[in-house]
Amino acid sequence: MKNSINIKIGGHAGEGIKVSGLILTRSLTRLGYSTFSYSEYPSLIRGGHNTYQIQVGLHKVQACLRKLDILIALNQETIKLHQDELKKTSLVIYDPGEFKLPLGELKGKYLAIPLLKITNKAGGKPIMANMASLASVLTLLGIELNTFKDIIRKEFSKKGEDLVKANIEVGEAGKNYVLKNYFQEKLVLEKPKTNLKRMVLTGNEAIALGALAGGLQFYSAYPMTPATSILHYLASIENQTNIVVKQTEDEISAINMALGASFAGVLSMTATSGGGLCLMAEGISMAGVAEIPLVIVNSMRPGPALGMPTWTSQGDLQFVLHIGHDEFPRIIFTPGDAKEAFELTKLSFELAEKYQLPVFILVDKYLSESDFSTQLFKKDHPAKRFSMADNLGPKDEFYKRYKLTENGVSKRSIPGQKGGIHCCNSYEHDENGLGTEEGEMRIKMMDKRMKKMKLLEKEIKGVSLFGPKKAKLSLISWGSNKGVILEALKELKNVNFLHLSCVWPFPKKEVEEFIKTSEKCYSIEGNATGQLTSLIKQETGLTLQSVLKYDGRPFWVEEIIKKFTN
Amino acid sequence: MENSNKYLSHIKPTWCPGCGNFGIFTSLKNAFKKLDLDPSELAVVTDVGCSGNTADFLKTYVFHALHGRALPPAAGIKLANHKLKVVAIIGDGGCYGEGLGHYINLMRGNHDITVLVHDNSLYSLTTGQTSPTTPKGIKTKSSPNGVIEEPLNPLALALANSASFCARTYALDIKDQTNTIIKAISHSGFSLIDILQPCITFNKTQTIKWYQERVYKLKNRFKNKEEAFKETLRTDKLGTGIFWQEKRPAYHQECQTLKNEALVAKNIKNINLGELIDKLV
Repeated sequence: MKNSINIKIGGHAGEGIKVSGLILTRSLTRLGYSTFSYSEYPSLIRGGHNTYQIQVGLHKVQACLRKLDILIALNQETIKLHQDELKKTSLVIYDPGEFKLPLGELKGKYLAIPLLKITNKAGGKPIMANMASLASVLTLLGIELNTFKDIIRKEFSKKGEDLVKANIEVGEAGKNYVLKNYFQEKLVLEKPKTNLKRMVLTGNEAIALGALAGGLQFYSAYPMTPATSILHYLASIENQTNIVVKQTEDEISAINMALGASFAGVLSMTATSGGGLCLMAEGISMAGVAEIPLVIVNSMRPGPALGMPTWTSQGDLQFVLHIGHDEFPRIIFTPGDAKEAFELTKLSFELAEKYQLPVFILVDKYLSESDFSTQLFKKDHPAKRFSMADNLGPKDEFYKRYKLTENGVSKRSIPGQKGGIHCCNSYEHDENGLGTEEGEMRIKMMDKRMKKMKLLEKEIKGVSLFGPKKAKLSLISWGSNKGVILEALKELKNVNFLHLSCVWPFPKKEVEEFIKTSEKCYSIEGNATGQLTSLIKQETGLTLQSVLKYDGRPFWVEEIIKKFTN
Repeated sequence: MENSNKYLSHIKPTWCPGCGNFGIFTSLKNAFKKLDLDPSELAVVTDVGCSGNTADFLKTYVFHALHGRALPPAAGIKLANHKLKVVAIIGDGGCYGEGLGHYINLMRGNHDITVLVHDNSLYSLTTGQTSPTTPKGIKTKSSPNGVIEEPLNPLALALANSASFCARTYALDIKDQTNTIIKAISHSGFSLIDILQPCITFNKTQTIKWYQERVYKLKNRFKNKEEAFKETLRTDKLGTGIFWQEKRPAYHQECQTLKNEALVAKNIKNINLGELIDKLV
């Protein structure tokens, strides 16, 4: 009996791979297993090679292994492309009526299941052959189809009872075929001992939910992979949650509209990827000088310029640290999984308002689009407003919106409030917000803004330590590498890991202490130059070695294990 | 008579003596006064340029936007709180050059904002370069051999792109201009006024005399868009007044979630994500 299994579905785009994969993920999660699912696809609508990969386990699963236990090959190309990922014991499911096995020596055991034929026989349409293959997999794992059927009902009930019934029939046919022909190949997965209820969601859905929990009212964005699904998800629940979602003509408009909305008193967010963020640079600078609360999500993909739209990267760290001209305070969160994405996005809304500055959620395609199984988030969120002025001035007189205070934070007023009149200014300004070019006031206002960084350092806990306090080998990383490294830690002995969920303000003390107490320390990053390593050097003077990857793919668990196993 | 000073800050306008901006500024504060607008209920978004400096001379809520970007925050403010009156002050460079995409797209959406384009056919705060509305052949600091491009036609663009209120005024005709601004602010939806404005310092071609020889008042409303469109193509004479106005719901009136109350009034004290979370199980 196995306690962890790695399943991949591969085929052409447009064959329903993502939908099927998610049905399988949800079915397994509902049964009490922990799952993590990752998909790869090219920047095309039809054609091109697509995959969806599910790691399912009895214990907490946080990343996919590269080596597969089961491969569902919807075309011959899949079998050729993924030979490296197969083991002798891997099972490969394919439809002999659709294509012949490639010539030459092949790794794994090949189960010929006439998916289309049994689908037709069960009265289903060709696309439903996917359900036959999913049911085959579940049967091979020794899992009954009841939960799978529930998920089918949930997914397809909107499309009519006939469709639900047909899909279920096809599933049954798949199960029966396996029981009859391949019963001996079973790869039985141990039954979960808990019935812990988990949800399955992408990193982007977690960000959207975190934003709502933080009080999100206005979202403006321009579509760009891999941030687009935040727009899709929020637009789909706009009416239900009573927010405003606006697709704008470009990213420049997206950020400037959000700035206007925030000035007018609503909690606002925008999201994009690197190219769009380039266009937002000046707007971010305005949020800095005019002290406008704003949450900005940047979901990274490989660049420069258009790069590789549907792949992953951690190449924008230094960009986000510096984006916008001149200097102003900012916060950059780098969540490592869906739960952190939810919690830190929620927190971003609080901090953006409290300190009136841009807050970045820096994620990547791997986090944005992977499906995480995680314990249900808290349902009730009594969100609060921060830094709003209680006492405004006399009606029709200027209010000192940018009052020079000891800690740099001044209270806001919003249009419509009597006695709160001020100018929200992209130029340097005085306490009322009126433009000034006076040297002395300029220094005072710069100091006012920069002082807020000091307060932030106290407010944010930016690191989590995993493993022993002192170890032979120490790893330090940020963002979505968290799950991969934690999976590797299950194998690596005497290794600890410091995960940075916030890179700015930089958690100097914690990082310094971690590196100084380590015997050997490596930074692990998805970019070509070691951007975190540079940041650490800049902030602590300490030099690390970097383990880098920039082929558009996430780190694989095996890669980390191999690198640190002698 | 209640004075219009309640809209003014303590800073005196810094425009060149005789600048067309004075005429526009006077008309604007007259319009505010005649409409009896509460300075606290008024959000003026200014762009960058000589016109943008209006930001410092007003005592209302002001958002001094980035160059070319006055329209998106104006739309954002209106969506956040549609109880406010929102007026954008922008130049020809900002509106028809740097921010043209916003101009075209926000008018399509009929966002309820009034856009006053201070159109002096020149970049003046940067001391006189060619702008999108500079006539072909004019020599400026950046086009010493004469501008090669044909000028942009803002009113024709607005008519073609479903702006629900399009007008032209002449900066120095304060009476007429005040009336047009009043109508624009009172209009529900996107209202554009292209304001012909002499730049007495840098524009040596389109002088006050040049304008006086060409500007005339449109007599009647046009019967249809085609007639209005024809008038926008005239270059020998420049008609002032309303070219087109139609009743259409503004963006916020069609936005499902703004039917009941302003977004800013939304209560976030009891957010429940229960239904959304259950769907993900």
